[in-house]
Amino acid sequence: MRPFTLNYAFPRSIPTVVTPYRFDESLQLNVLPDGRPAISDPDLLLAVGTTASTAGSKTHFDD
Amino acid sequence: MTVLILTAKDDVTADLVVTKLHDAAVPVMRLDPADLPAQTVLSAHYTQGDFEGLLSANGHVVSMGGLRSVWVRRPGEPAAHADEPSAWLTAETRQALFGMLYSASARWMNHPCDADRARLKPWQLRTAHLSGFAVPPTVITTLPRLARQFAEEYGEVVVKSASGPPPGEPSLALPTTLIGPDSDFSAVAAGPALLQRYIPKRADIRLTCVGSRLFAARKTAEPDQVDGRYGDTGHTWEPVPVPDRIRKSVLDYVDMARLAYAAFDFAEDEDGFWWFLECNQSGQFGFLELQTGQPVSEAVARWLSRPARS
Repeated sequence: MRPFTLNYAFPRSIPTVVTPYRFDESLQLNVLPDGRPAISDPDLLLAVGTTASTAGSKTHFDD
Repeated sequence: MTVLILTAKDDVTADLVVTKLHDAAVPVMRLDPADLPAQTVLSAHYTQGDFEGLLSANGHVVSMGGLRSVWVRRPGEPAAHADEPSAWLTAETRQALFGMLYSASARWMNHPCDADRARLKPWQLRTAHLSGFAVPPTVITTLPRLARQFAEEYGEVVVKSASGPPPGEPSLALPTTLIGPDSDFSAVAAGPALLQRYIPKRADIRLTCVGSRLFAARKTAEPDQVDGRYGDTGHTWEPVPVPDRIRKSVLDYVDMARLAYAAFDFAEDEDGFWWFLECNQSGQFGFLELQTGQPVSEAVARWLSRPARS
């Protein structure tokens, strides 16, 4: 029997988020293609959703 | 003295804190346990009563004697990125890494032992009650009859998962869902179900606690919106003051839970009263800081920068 709580689950298509930044080992920060730290562009971070409370739900149980 | 941050490389929220530590000239080392042992060196020595250990990654080195604090953010599973990963290798690597870190005298945000307990939703409800929060009546049960009785008593209740959606593929969403007493509760016998009295809300409140610093934000809810994480309401998060009664309860809660960082979720009802829903010991804060300007990352960096325990 399917557990009761799972009766309220539904498939979720997770859009493939291509993060427009990469990790810089020496800076220990994510940087944009032009070398600026990713956090220098808050509008971009909000747009890609990687700081949102549901972002953690995809990969981590803490949200 | 170095701050160690355990998190994934793409955790851009951690970047907010790393930048603050750089600005304050506080040495920092960022490490994903998933990169052990492939891209990270670990060595610990326990001889004749002495202990010394070191970690080296990305050209950065930290000794356990020089460890100021540890921030557990979004770490991967130990050794997950190894050439030949296995459950055994993960277990061995976890032993080596956390056994070494626990042996140091660093301060933790949050200590994994405390974090494990703090993730337990039923324990959260009890601790919230003892801290003086208003907590909606809740039952977690495997008895269908009790689940039905609970729903009949309160009319409308929500069902929510204690641990989040099931992992794996296909990806599932499992939002908090409103149900009525006419639901078929027979499947409650197949797994513990958590039911809670429904609190009609006019807003979601997210309160972030860093040490003794509190940052509260409010987002207006749509009528009948049950789970604030799902559905775009068009509203944004705005900073709000923390009521004195809530402040005292928050500080009592984190003291009982031994948490240096915690993110509380409340439902604000039609009378403006805040109901405790849950406390996430590592809740996201990046979106709040970006939308409200509240200096959460600065508070985290400041807490991590304080001297290690003597």
